[in-house]
Amino acid sequence: MSPTTQTLLVDGHVVELRPGDTILNAANRADVSIPTLCHDPRLKPVGACRTCLIEVEGARRLLPACATPATEGMKVNTESERVDRHRKTLLALYLTDHDGTQEHGQGGAPNQLASMAREVGAPTDWGQLPSKRRGSIKDDNPYILFDPDQCIACARCTRYCDEVESVTAITLAGRGSETTISTADGISLLDSTCEMCGGCIDTCPTGAMTERKAAEVQAPPESDLTKVRSTCNFCGVGCQLDLNVDPAANDGRGLVVKVTSPPVGTTSNDGNLCVKGRFAYEFINHEDRLTTPLIRDADGVLQPASWEAALAATSQGLAGVMERHGKNALAFISSSRCTVEENYLVQKLARQGYGTNNVHQCSAT
Amino acid sequence: MPLINGQRPGTIYLVSSPNDPRSTVPDRLASAGGLSEGVARVLSRDTGLHEADIYGVGSFYHLLARPEARVRVCGGLSCQLAGSREVLSACKAAGLPTEEISCLAACDRAPAVLRDRRTLPSVTVEDATRSAGKVEDLCSTDSETAWLGTIGPETQSMGTHALNLLGEPDWSAEAFKAANKMGPAALFDLLEESGLQGRGGAGFPAHIKWRAVAGQAVQKRYIVLNADEGEPGTFKDREVLMRRPDLVLEGLAIAAAATGASEVYLYLRGEFEVPSGVIAQAIAKLEETNRYPDITFHMHAGQGAYICGEETALLEALEGKRGMPRLKPPFPVEVGLWGKPTLVHNVETIAYIPGIVLKGGAWFKNLGRTEPGTKLYCISGHVQNPGTYELPLGISLDELVETAGGYVGTLKAFSPGGASSGFLPASERGRALDFKGLGSLGSMLGSAGVVVLNDTVNMRWAAEEQLRFFEEESCGQCAPCRIGTHYLHAAVKGQEKSLGLAHVGDVAWQMNEGSICGLGQAAALPLTSALKYFPEDFS
Repeated sequence: MSPTTQTLLVDGHVVELRPGDTILNAANRADVSIPTLCHDPRLKPVGACRTCLIEVEGARRLLPACATPATEGMKVNTESERVDRHRKTLLALYLTDHDGTQEHGQGGAPNQLASMAREVGAPTDWGQLPSKRRGSIKDDNPYILFDPDQCIACARCTRYCDEVESVTAITLAGRGSETTISTADGISLLDSTCEMCGGCIDTCPTGAMTERKAAEVQAPPESDLTKVRSTCNFCGVGCQLDLNVDPAANDGRGLVVKVTSPPVGTTSNDGNLCVKGRFAYEFINHEDRLTTPLIRDADGVLQPASWEAALAATSQGLAGVMERHGKNALAFISSSRCTVEENYLVQKLARQGYGTNNVHQCSAT
Repeated sequence: MPLINGQRPGTIYLVSSPNDPRSTVPDRLASAGGLSEGVARVLSRDTGLHEADIYGVGSFYHLLARPEARVRVCGGLSCQLAGSREVLSACKAAGLPTEEISCLAACDRAPAVLRDRRTLPSVTVEDATRSAGKVEDLCSTDSETAWLGTIGPETQSMGTHALNLLGEPDWSAEAFKAANKMGPAALFDLLEESGLQGRGGAGFPAHIKWRAVAGQAVQKRYIVLNADEGEPGTFKDREVLMRRPDLVLEGLAIAAAATGASEVYLYLRGEFEVPSGVIAQAIAKLEETNRYPDITFHMHAGQGAYICGEETALLEALEGKRGMPRLKPPFPVEVGLWGKPTLVHNVETIAYIPGIVLKGGAWFKNLGRTEPGTKLYCISGHVQNPGTYELPLGISLDELVETAGGYVGTLKAFSPGGASSGFLPASERGRALDFKGLGSLGSMLGSAGVVVLNDTVNMRWAAEEQLRFFEEESCGQCAPCRIGTHYLHAAVKGQEKSLGLAHVGDVAWQMNEGSICGLGQAAALPLTSALKYFPEDFS
């Protein structure tokens, strides 16, 4: 740390100040954990859930760590009696308006509210309010399910839809204890500007927005699923995704029950996916899916074969065409579902391996 | 400006501009007759904004959200004491499309009813029955003169009453000229000397805000008039707008000239159709005579949301959004309307300015008793002559009620400054009604909307009604207020068996610590104060 470095103190830890820092960012770097529900680093902070309120020396009121700029010499205290009482009473209040006993919502989505309430030791005996939130989104789309009882109106979904996707299909609607999430006039998401990217599901902290298909198959909690990191094969962008496999399903052969995006900030797609990547995974277990190469036998009937045999047959076939008709009788067409690297290799195979420039990719037309 | 360790907090707000079609959304929704099905889509085509956005805005404001209701009966405490629930039932029985609404700022003319955008004072069950279900035929005493309430004391003069609501309007712009001659620096000193505190509720020294706006590096500044008078029990701004539009507009012009602003936005609550007309006429008159040549007045009608009286929620509403308060800091003097430095003042505060300019800071200061100036006290409930009384700041309840003709029945409790100030017991009747003294009691002077309750009133009921108000008017943005008001209302109502009153203290603590704005921070007070002073009403 150079003498000119600006710093602040978080629970006594000296933290170097970086441009644009909020207290939350600075605290995270010092490994001081501050609970948040409405915070998503992709979105502008709104400080609405109030879980991240902390004490700053000299400030009369508790301040939201997510939205308060960190400044030189600031002294932040996240462990005081006042902050502790704040967290306990706030979460106790949340629990009166939500079912905090289930740490997983429909389809196994984690409910951070429940786990946070357990972690801070929030009282659970304040009673239960009848929820006034209504789900006005018509329920006929195949992918996204909204459970108003689980919704904490943190507006992560609506802000994501607006600020990241620029789609704004959903909004905070109503006022006060009736505040809920809705489309215009409560129309079906299918009739709205929604592109079914499912980002609302990804950002939702409580599982109020969830995958309908996972709910339908009653997917177990995400912690019981095996996450298999993969590259989305629907286009060449290369978004990373996690196939969530229920190992016990499908007679023990495993079944993909949902697709989630890797955590924000860890992969190039930054937690975002599109409708195909997030929801079009059922082909994996479809009975029509080819799971082994096939070669036609002498009678013209396709027979399962090994990869070695299939590649040999392909190679022979291509060589035969070239021998009989010349190299320009060959053409190579690759798929837009291949990655950039795979497309590169296809053109290399065509040009260098077979000496032809007849190479094309389906999305290039 | 509250700074954190000497640092200026950064700004994080989305900034649109006056040209953004978004700011026209509430007006467009009102012109379309409210948020009926399909309206959001049509307006989306017209403006290029997302239909969900438009729907979100429309669903926030109660004058837009339920277009089918055309008759709205005030459910405020004073109106209920005057029989508003009977009027509500009579309206429904007569077949009028009726619902209850939060305080209409007509507590002195209770019970009040809103017919479309027109507030009708003193509506009776017979009026409702006589309408025979035709909205247009409801009530007959709604002429503009009848809209005016009682003003006191009966004799007022500019020497002893800083506003002098009974005085004739003065269109000479003499104070404006004098202020310009004086220059901003001397004017700010004058304001400081006068000790003028914001009359909207917070009691913040006016000169600090003026200096802060004038001192900003950003050259574009705005003046905003907060005429979203909605604190239950409060109706003084209505009288000022109706009787002395000259003072309001001159005060705004002086503020604009002194802080380097050229545009003034007047935000009047949507239910103020009549005062709005008076102000519009006054602006037209001033424009004709070119009294304030470099200043443009823009009028804006609210669409029904108590929370928009909170200054940052008001700014959001002016920008055409859902009226949800912003995080503070930054304060509006730094980052206000469309992100520019903005001076927001309550009607009463701004109306004192011309008098202070003409008669001096010391004069104003000396008009007060425990704190500077005279003050408009609104009084309603169990008193003989409910009305607006200009009296020295710091008089007691007994003195105020004496001016208002005396108590009706035996005093039991009073609310000194609107619903947000909670309740005080009769034993506090001699205490000075000022900002500091009431603050030290855990109550507040607030907007000085004094509601008097006699011994026929059960305080559990009174607390329940105030909590119903806060639950309905919470914007819903932050959890402590959204859930807390719902919780306390349900708990005091006693319908939810699992709730009880055991956790009221903790809930109130959380709402005060955790809420973003003053609504949530104060909303528990009616219940906690009733429990504290009147435990017998809860047994």
